[in-house]
Amino acid sequence: MTTSRDVLIKVENLHKVFNGKLHALNGVSEEIYKGEVVVVVGPSGSGKSTFLRSLNLLEVPTSGRVVFKGVDILDKKNNIDAHRQHMGMVFQHFNLFPHMTILENITLAPMKLLKKSKDDAYDKAMKLLRLVGLEEKANNYPVQLSGGQKQRIAIIRSLAMDPEVMLFDEPTSALDPEMVGEVLELMRRLAHEGMTMVVVTHEMGFAKEVATRVIFMDEGEIKEQNTPEAFFAHPKEPRLQEFLSKIL
Amino acid sequence: MTEQFADLQARFYLNFIAEDRWRFIVNGLGVTLRVTFFALIMGLFLGFLVAIIRSTHDKTGKLKFFNVLCNVYLTVIRGTPVVVQLLILFFVVFPGGTSQILVAIVAFGINSGAYQAEIFRSGIMAVDNGQFEAGRSLGFNYLKTMFYIVLPQAVKNILPALGNEFIVLMKETSISGFIALQDLTRAGDIIRSRTFDAFMPLLAVALIYLVLVVILSSLIKLLERRLRSSDH
Repeated sequence: MTTSRDVLIKVENLHKVFNGKLHALNGVSEEIYKGEVVVVVGPSGSGKSTFLRSLNLLEVPTSGRVVFKGVDILDKKNNIDAHRQHMGMVFQHFNLFPHMTILENITLAPMKLLKKSKDDAYDKAMKLLRLVGLEEKANNYPVQLSGGQKQRIAIIRSLAMDPEVMLFDEPTSALDPEMVGEVLELMRRLAHEGMTMVVVTHEMGFAKEVATRVIFMDEGEIKEQNTPEAFFAHPKEPRLQEFLSKIL
Repeated sequence: MTEQFADLQARFYLNFIAEDRWRFIVNGLGVTLRVTFFALIMGLFLGFLVAIIRSTHDKTGKLKFFNVLCNVYLTVIRGTPVVVQLLILFFVVFPGGTSQILVAIVAFGINSGAYQAEIFRSGIMAVDNGQFEAGRSLGFNYLKTMFYIVLPQAVKNILPALGNEFIVLMKETSISGFIALQDLTRAGDIIRSRTFDAFMPLLAVALIYLVLVVILSSLIKLLERRLRSSDH
């Protein structure tokens, strides 16, 4: 029987050292539960992106353990590609495939990896496109879309794989201000539908409103975490107080 | 005026019509086209393979041994003249007198492969790493990410450079005469040696190369345009 406290991702004592000297992660241990919306904030260079990218091993930790649904995915015996199919990821710079139409962007992975038929993949893609109101862009190429549209397509491209968790790496940082809202709106909707999400962002409004838990990272460590209410109203760490005073 | 024209007519007859000398040109053209075509295919295959190995090594640090092999190949082939490579292959590697056309195909294929490898690799490395990460994060393995996502973009970017290499390859086959292969250039030279007229046969040969290159470059342009459909 699954409960709301099922651990989906568990990391233990993660360390990441770049080029033998830059310590991006200094022993991070954390658990992500099913249905949670965890927002990670922190100053630049705090290791928050590295932490997020370690969850699906786009960044391979120097030491430590990453356990996804009870499986140690750092163990070479386990096929990381199969696990990544269940972990969607959204990037700051969208990374849509420019040589494919929007429809092809969305259907590529379901067809090639989940072996869905063209019709099934197409139906699902069109359903997702209608969800974000971009069905008329199905046959356009990414270059013809605005930043906000691209990011919404990137999100549903991941959703087409029916992931169990979605990782967001500063999804609105590369957007013009007037396009941030439409992307956050889609993320908010996902959260309300119960999607497990880990979000690295500078959007404190989103953290306050949508997060179930907010994590503050600095110097490659998790310095403080709390419910959004307590996190923003009563920060304990001096570094967090300083950080919040600068951005709020 | 009519006198000069009559003279040209006579030289044309002497060089191409008399004793069916045009056959040299036609047969030579056939040899040039065959050598170019098969060397190109071989070069594509070799270049592609080397580029995949080298860029995989650059990106992941794997395939160390094969990467060293590839580096030796690139250094030796790009570091020595193609005429010398052709002669070595003919007189040293296959001293038994293998078919000249086969030796020429292999020599030019190996040579072109080295240049195509670096063109392919530069194309692969120029594709934004975010594309690679997006593919991997969806669950594609390294090779599938390469084939579905990175390579189609790489090929589009390198098409002009690749087309240039094809043109160079076609013209480079004109040294096939060094191993007594009667390609287009050699054909013109044979006619010259028989008629003692250099102007007509050599100009004809030059003209044919020019036409071939023009046709080849317009084919490449056509392909470029088709691949660019996603750019606007």
